[in-house]
Amino acid sequence: MSTTTNPGRARALRHVAMVLGTVIGILVLAAWTSRAEAHHSFSVFDMQTNKELEGEVIEFQWTNPHTWTWIEVTNADGTKTRWGLEGMSPNFLGRRGWSKNTFEPGDKIKVVIWPLKSGEPGGTLQRATLPDGSEVVNFGRGPGG
Amino acid sequence: MLRQTWLAIALVVAVPLHAQSGPQGDTWESIAKLPEFVGLWEVTFGGGPRGGGEPASLTPAYAAKLKEYQDATARGEIEDGPAANCVPNGMPSIMTQPYPIEILFTPGKVTILIEAYAQWRQIFTDGREHPEDPDLTFNGHSIGHWEEGTLVVDTVGFTTDTSLGGGGMRHSDKMRIAERFRLAAPDRLEIETTITDPEALTKPFTRTAAFGRHRDWTLAEYVCQQNNRNFVTDDGKAGIDLSFEEK
Repeated sequence: MSTTTNPGRARALRHVAMVLGTVIGILVLAAWTSRAEAHHSFSVFDMQTNKELEGEVIEFQWTNPHTWTWIEVTNADGTKTRWGLEGMSPNFLGRRGWSKNTFEPGDKIKVVIWPLKSGEPGGTLQRATLPDGSEVVNFGRGPGG
Repeated sequence: MLRQTWLAIALVVAVPLHAQSGPQGDTWESIAKLPEFVGLWEVTFGGGPRGGGEPASLTPAYAAKLKEYQDATARGEIEDGPAANCVPNGMPSIMTQPYPIEILFTPGKVTILIEAYAQWRQIFTDGREHPEDPDLTFNGHSIGHWEEGTLVVDTVGFTTDTSLGGGGMRHSDKMRIAERFRLAAPDRLEIETTITDPEALTKPFTRTAAFGRHRDWTLAEYVCQQNNRNFVTDDGKAGIDLSFEEK
């Protein structure tokens, strides 16, 4: 586990406060750009539901056009499910305190996601609590400011 | 009569002088006199004079295309666009993605590196004209000149594969885009974009985007096909590929 590259808790909380502003900004931007998110719509995600999961990181893919965090979640009945969580790109997150080492295999993390409408085990990563208790926010700080 | 004579003399003198000095940005020496665009520029989310202004005024034929798209979206038939499959947006939307751009000056040419989808534009400032019958491309053929500190760009030759912003607004291959780049403040670049299209628009459509400067950023690679798990089918359905290979 690595915590040296993770933003501190105060910074993470500040990021949380900025998420709402960023989301509003994205909606405003959508009026002019084709995809504020640059790449795809959110039609497959249920953005009305904030689903919480706790699991162990299998792999963190620091790739374009999206990062993918794969975690294994132990269900109530003892079975295990692998969840795939889509995040912003390394380009976007790398400028906002994240790195390819933000999550490492074996890390036990808690996440909040917008789940897939289909019910498949996947979603958009909103934020995550790291093993040391600090929090990282996927959308980071609004650009340009 | 006397005034006309002076005017004639002034014109005769002024034209050769202008020709001698050449276009701004045509030599390394003249580039040094241009505004400093160094650094990366990222569009400000809701932070600039954007969004306002009159909506696009579409011709009946293109208003019908838009309504058809909006109706199909409302019925749930269209869930996403080609960008989900890594197809670049084309002009003008490619300029305002949530990724930075870099603007480079070399003699006779301005190059814009666009991180999103690893795109670029070249704007010829050497005095050339557009080709008579340009190829139709995503980002078009651009020529420009400087008016004091403002870079004025004219772009033509667009493929109709792209949409004009989001929401299914289309354009014809006769679309023309005029842009004015200027530093509104030392670290704030504003690009005023005016779109005309004799087939799609009944009047010019103008928006201004503001960009913040990041001197300490460098461009990063963006290979959209690297790990793209989003997709949209030919008939507009969106999906996610959750396949996973254990290491």
